[in-house]
Amino acid sequence: MRESIIMKIHYGTALGAVALVAVHILMRLSQNFSDSLSYKNVLVNYHLLPYALMLEVILVLLSVHGFNGLRVILLELKQGRSYERAINYGSIAAMAVLIAYGSRTILMAGMGVS
Amino acid sequence: MAERLSNREGIKGMANPTRYGMLRVAYWLQRLSGLGLLAYLIGHIYETSTILNGKAAWDNMLSLTETPGGHIVLVIVIGMCVFHTGNGIRVMISEGGKGIGRPGQPEYPYKAVSLSSKQRLCIWVSIALAALAMMYGAGVLFGN
Repeated sequence: MRESIIMKIHYGTALGAVALVAVHILMRLSQNFSDSLSYKNVLVNYHLLPYALMLEVILVLLSVHGFNGLRVILLELKQGRSYERAINYGSIAAMAVLIAYGSRTILMAGMGVS
Repeated sequence: MAERLSNREGIKGMANPTRYGMLRVAYWLQRLSGLGLLAYLIGHIYETSTILNGKAAWDNMLSLTETPGGHIVLVIVIGMCVFHTGNGIRVMISEGGKGIGRPGQPEYPYKAVSLSSKQRLCIWVSIALAALAMMYGAGVLFGN
């Protein structure tokens, strides 16, 4: 994929994440911060389908943005064919692992497996 | 040849925050805050996964994070998040060619038009917004 397209994805994921993370934080501030983190309250969040879907979208946007940012930093430090390939595939793998791990929490908590 | 080699500073030359003024400082802050936020994201995803192990595990995790130390980390995360967002929007707009001036003849003292007061102002506004958000966050977290 061309770097110009990757950077457009980078900026798009950033703007999307800013909007959705703002909603996520406002949900915490809609009541007393400590109360919003109580076990019962957090489970209620996961059981609410639109909110769980929003968490999933935030997870994907931030993972893509975060690991692409790390990839850019690492490629700025050093160049070379095998190094660049390792960084590119390593970033995609790390991104996939984080999304899978986070999705597991959202899915299982949403289905009541806890 | 010797002179050419002496000018090759590599990463140190690129990374030197005392060169190129405020924009290089913003470049560093953007990268450091990005790395910090990625570390927080990974930690946050791990932290929230403990809810699958039941109420005791969740409360145990909260007893680690809902402490003055945990709140200080959160306040720093809020600051990094707001600066990264503000400065990131500046970078996006600049990359679109806005606010970086028009290229002209290089004339002494070779002042780059891209290092304009608008760019500097945007960086300072990002820092100020981050400071305000940190103060508000500290009020919410420590006010409980």
